[in-house]
Amino acid sequence: MMLEVRKLSAGYGRVQVLWDIDLSVGEREIVALVGPNGAGKTTLLRTLSGVIRMRGGTAEFRGRSLGDRSIEQIVDLGIAHVPEGRRLFAGLTVRANLLLGGWRTKNTDLDRVIELFPPLEPRLEQVAGSLSGGEQQMCAIARGLMSQPELMMIDELSLGLAPLIVDEILARLPDIAAAGTSVLLVEQDVDAALSVAERAYVLETGQVTLSGKAGVLLADKRIQESYLGIA
Amino acid sequence: MAAAARWKPLVPWVSGVLLLLAALGLQSQLYSGQERTVTAIFMFVALAQAWNLLGGYAGYASFGQVVFFGIGGYFTAVAMTHWHLSFWTCLVLGGVVAALFGALIGMPLLRLRGHYFAIATLGVAEGIREVVTNLPGLTGGGAGITLPTVGDQATTAYLGNDGFYLLFLALAALAVLVSGLVAGSRAGYALRAIHQDEQAAAAMGVNTTRIKVLTFALSGLITGLVGATYAFQQVTIFPERLFDVDITVLMVVMVVIGGSGTVLGPLVGAVILQFLSEYLRQNYTSYHIFLLGAIIIVAVVLLPQGAVNYLRDARRTGEYSLLANVRRYRL
Repeated sequence: MMLEVRKLSAGYGRVQVLWDIDLSVGEREIVALVGPNGAGKTTLLRTLSGVIRMRGGTAEFRGRSLGDRSIEQIVDLGIAHVPEGRRLFAGLTVRANLLLGGWRTKNTDLDRVIELFPPLEPRLEQVAGSLSGGEQQMCAIARGLMSQPELMMIDELSLGLAPLIVDEILARLPDIAAAGTSVLLVEQDVDAALSVAERAYVLETGQVTLSGKAGVLLADKRIQESYLGIA
Repeated sequence: MAAAARWKPLVPWVSGVLLLLAALGLQSQLYSGQERTVTAIFMFVALAQAWNLLGGYAGYASFGQVVFFGIGGYFTAVAMTHWHLSFWTCLVLGGVVAALFGALIGMPLLRLRGHYFAIATLGVAEGIREVVTNLPGLTGGGAGITLPTVGDQATTAYLGNDGFYLLFLALAALAVLVSGLVAGSRAGYALRAIHQDEQAAAAMGVNTTRIKVLTFALSGLITGLVGATYAFQQVTIFPERLFDVDITVLMVVMVVIGGSGTVLGPLVGAVILQFLSEYLRQNYTSYHIFLLGAIIIVAVVLLPQGAVNYLRDARRTGEYSLLANVRRYRL
């Protein structure tokens, strides 16, 4: 597996948020991480990208430990983090945002990401803050891809977006994975996430309570009751 | 259309060269009083551009920028008087010393943001002025120091009005060029990203501390060169004048009125403000500062984003109303 997380725990101050998390992501795979608010999904991504230090357990990316590396070093390993709320440089042009995504790797080739997200092309010279929510999310993902990562972690892709737009963006993820960038997708919209992912983990109050093939989880009674509103 | 797009990147270069040629041609048309006025405009174009590098692009407003001006000037004065170096050597060394000083104070101070950075830089400038004032053996102290420009002691012949016109013009052109190169470079993107969201810029892998310190040093270099030239032009210099906080304020006001974070803004702001100030001084001598202050206040209220940015926005949206502009930028 490309990313191997074992017995990982982390938290803020005296509060422990994550307890003994086991998780893995393979080559060219899309893995979903779902669960209710406050389960620790964002905290897990922040721990993996080095924003928060892990307290116990191990996380290895291609056999190299993430625990003792800084944020920049983790970016260099080939992990990109598309944060919740997108965190674009709102006052800079889309082009500038994308070029900043390629800062570390000195990648200035915009063609590939434009091909994935054609709506961005006419917006290149426009400031990112003036884009629609969907275009902003495309820009955020495209910015993450500019560092040519081997693993991209996307937090709350659907936040504030219309369902149709969410589907449109999710539909691009298989292409991204096929091109060599695995995706770890954090999502509250469980139905949408499981429809595009191959495997999924359910996180509740800081622990993995269920995991397996996306199709199997979709059919699981507990998932249907808790997340899909099917009685 | 395609042909126009191909030539578009050349427009700034061509207009820059034309502007430079016009400034050179203008010199012979001016009598000496006017020549000095235009020379002062060139000086402030260079200073405003230097301030804009960090203050405009990255949003780190240095309120102690004059410290580089003073260091460049006093280095030149001391080196020419005591060490008998030529002015040209002092000019280069003065700039380098100011740049090194920028890097040195930048390393701790650039960890502060917003008002804290502004106050800390202001403190440094005031502190260095006191140091210079209290080293009378070296700097002449509060009584000032006179550079050797005549007789056996002179290491470099005084340049005269014409010479300083050309030298300040060269410094202004250099500053505009540097600003233009920074604006279009990787570093320019990084600085603007820092302005927008420093944490996000760091998450992109930008080494924010390094780029801020280097930019502060570059800004110090240009300001130091201008200070060195100013000291030679003035012949006798005093700490109160070379470390005058008014010079910093003028740089800030020029950048803000012209349009911060742009190449053209500081140029436009410096020309407008310096020209206006001179015009008012000659025609309304007794209350020119009052009028200038009032105009600055009105300009900042009506054009909070600066003249250049206002025109760019207005051209794009077709909305030229100043009232609408105020509404857009005032919360």
